[in-house]
Amino acid sequence: MTKVQLQETEHATPTESIRIGVYVCHCGLNIAGSVDCEAVAKFAATLPYVVVSKDYRYTCSEPGQELIRSDIKEYKLNRVVVASCSPRLHEPTFRRVCEDAGLNKYLFEMANIREHCSWVHLHDRESATEKAEDLVRMAVARAALLEPEEENTVPITRKALVIGGGVAGIQAALDLADTGYHVYLVERDPSIGGRMAQLDKTFPTMDCSICILAPKMADAGRHPNIELLTNSEVQEVKGYIGNFKAKVMKKPRYVTDECTACGDCVPVCSVTVPNEFDVGLSTRHGIYIPFPQAVPSTYIIDRELCLNKENIIVCDKCIKACERQAIDFEMKPEILELEVGTIVVATGADVFDPASLVEYGYTKFPNVITSLEFERLINAGGPSGGHIIRPSDMKIPETVAFIQCVGSRSERGHLYCSNVCCMNTIKDSLLIKEHWPETKIYVFYLDIRAYGKGFEDLYKRAKKEGVLFIRGLPAEVIEDRKTRNLWLIGENTLQQELYRINAEMAILSIGIEPRKDSAVIQRLLTLSRTQDGFFMEAHPKLRPVDAPTGGIFLAGCAESPKDIKDSVTQASAAAARASILMAKGKVTVEAITPRLIEENCTVCGLCARVCPYNAIIFDKEAKRVEFIEAACGGCGTCAAECPFDAIKMRHFTDEQIFAQIDAATQLDAEKKIIAFCCNWCSYAGADFAGVSRMQYPTNVRIIRTMCSGRVAPKFVEYAFARGAAAVLVSGCHIGDCHYINANYQTLKRVEKLWKKMERLELNKDRLQLEWINASEGERLASKIREMQAIVGSVSAEEIENSKKMMRKG
Amino acid sequence: MPVRIWREPLDADKIKVSKAEIHILKDQCKGCDFCIEFCPKQVLETSEELNIKGFHPPIVIDESRCVLCDFCTAICPDFAIFVIEKDCKEGC
Repeated sequence: MTKVQLQETEHATPTESIRIGVYVCHCGLNIAGSVDCEAVAKFAATLPYVVVSKDYRYTCSEPGQELIRSDIKEYKLNRVVVASCSPRLHEPTFRRVCEDAGLNKYLFEMANIREHCSWVHLHDRESATEKAEDLVRMAVARAALLEPEEENTVPITRKALVIGGGVAGIQAALDLADTGYHVYLVERDPSIGGRMAQLDKTFPTMDCSICILAPKMADAGRHPNIELLTNSEVQEVKGYIGNFKAKVMKKPRYVTDECTACGDCVPVCSVTVPNEFDVGLSTRHGIYIPFPQAVPSTYIIDRELCLNKENIIVCDKCIKACERQAIDFEMKPEILELEVGTIVVATGADVFDPASLVEYGYTKFPNVITSLEFERLINAGGPSGGHIIRPSDMKIPETVAFIQCVGSRSERGHLYCSNVCCMNTIKDSLLIKEHWPETKIYVFYLDIRAYGKGFEDLYKRAKKEGVLFIRGLPAEVIEDRKTRNLWLIGENTLQQELYRINAEMAILSIGIEPRKDSAVIQRLLTLSRTQDGFFMEAHPKLRPVDAPTGGIFLAGCAESPKDIKDSVTQASAAAARASILMAKGKVTVEAITPRLIEENCTVCGLCARVCPYNAIIFDKEAKRVEFIEAACGGCGTCAAECPFDAIKMRHFTDEQIFAQIDAATQLDAEKKIIAFCCNWCSYAGADFAGVSRMQYPTNVRIIRTMCSGRVAPKFVEYAFARGAAAVLVSGCHIGDCHYINANYQTLKRVEKLWKKMERLELNKDRLQLEWINASEGERLASKIREMQAIVGSVSAEEIENSKKMMRKG
Repeated sequence: MPVRIWREPLDADKIKVSKAEIHILKDQCKGCDFCIEFCPKQVLETSEELNIKGFHPPIVIDESRCVLCDFCTAICPDFAIFVIEKDCKEGC
């Protein structure tokens, strides 16, 4: 940065006569408990341009909102600052208040003194109050430079894409189709139905799973508004809310629609393989239908297995057997290009593989089976015709043991509870009792979680039927070599005694885990995932089915482990949310997109090179740079890249960010950490730290940008030039960037800055880069604790040096 | 559905697997190796042996792998190979 620019920013003054109102919220005792809100409000009144400053108990309440509305009129306010919770929570609320009072909503600013202050500094009222004052100072400085913006509207394509044809996907597709929208339902497997199709009965009602699912599958299959794309995968998704372009690969079935599912082709097929639908407990042929109720009811040829490779027809037995001549080895994969306005992600989940828990002996002992294998065994249409049989000798066992929490609630699997296994086991135990009442059943558990409607009743019923519940998981399962019976050894923690129980069969109640290839969908749709690996919702309480990316909704186990009822509920909710958008037919785009300052632009093309959305048209010959607003995500990495200050990021301008740095470094800069956090991951992570009350040092000042890619090197340099002790740049993890890959630019820029600091003989530890996602509050808190040590070690001389050096640029 | 599949299917013994009996008329073979090259189950291989015409006829390396697709019979230009299905009524 040149000296001239620096001076300009230091003296950046608003052009009109600014009148700011500041409202400091107590949030009951959430803020007032550790921050002196009255003092903060008094302090705010002394800041430039502030004409009114008040503290209020609950600013978001209707009277609180009314207070702001009437003040805007009374004091002729043209900027409003509310110091309360995270803008991720209530910015929309207060923006609406401003609009109601005739103020452009972009003239509103929030200081986050709850998640980022009172909740994380519960025990240091003085420092917390000081920090709150700083945060208000920063917000007021930024507010003074805010400009009114007009939002563009974009039309929404009235078609939806549902990814995943399990019960959640089917329900979402049916609801959307019934509402009147055209739906593409994409399923990777040859049939829709998903996990639910594999289950025998459902809890707590003991309905037959396929009997209630099959009609829904058939409805989806023949609905005039649903275009079913099975054996298909989404390969690419481009675009944005309302205007997605998806590429779907429809893999060939090698069997045409002429197929009547008569099955004449099957016996002649000479190759077999374990049937995936029956978890390998039965066999299928090279030509097969996954299960009798499959939709579409069309056979499929597994070309991996089939003798006919590529262009050589070696075996024509199925072709000869098919009277309708429905077999066509010439079929080729098709790429379909779909234009949709909304997307529902219902990609489901995988199950935990218990082979890694060697103490249970799965894959070593034949009579240790998983709960999914049990479902197929107990199913009348399954490989054993509904008889639970021991794989070792095909006999019906007289004693059965269920082991709970296999892969759940443990560091050796997943830390979370899989939600469905307790009730599934209770249901399974009742099914055994129903068919073979004499069977002795043990259930080894940690806690029985029977939280849903009708769940406790079912649990009681199982106990009444004589199912023995023993608290304490077996430490080991040992097999008797001769009888193939199993010894389960462990501690009964309720009675504080050891047990050694003989069972003829053990069923591992395996947990649910995220799809192993979730990263693919995550990348295609720029979604985020929580620490558990499931897709993250926009807000865990208030927007539980919206993905953080506009126009995308989540349903079923892709979002978290859940039972059928919850999956269906969420699917209907997702469909309703998507319908709201499509019914409106248009969507407004946030006015945070860039504007070109033509007199500064040299048409170098650097901005176009870093744009993750290809939203910048760059034509060297015609000397033209143009932004395609509708395609722009608003990350601001173009503005950070531009060496000539020729790009103005609306609502996140250089001047506004410089003003925030100025305000943050006004007092005791040499003790402070300036942290740049991206809106989607790191800022949300800091919010999460607040919600979880994770305590960390008070000297950090967080500046929010939409993306870490917005953080221009000049911001960091400026913070050091102002005497800040340390700077943290923080964004989504590499590969998880909300703006596709804009954070690669962040990495590049920070690396460059480190080199520069080395060259200038500055302590490069003072600049830290950390990837923090929205669920990693602890990561942020510990990073700040760690940086506190760096701050302590920075000498006054070092600060002076960096002030000089960075000012020179 | 990436679930671990490791057991022998319960119906493994019920699945009808055809048992093949491969016949090679060695002296008719002219060693084109088509049968070897196109066999989808890699049942055949070139032998060391020389036939009457001075060619290496194929030999069967694993008859149990044959699934009776009959492609070798169809492709052989010299009618030198054919496969029949074993009658397994009394066990094979």
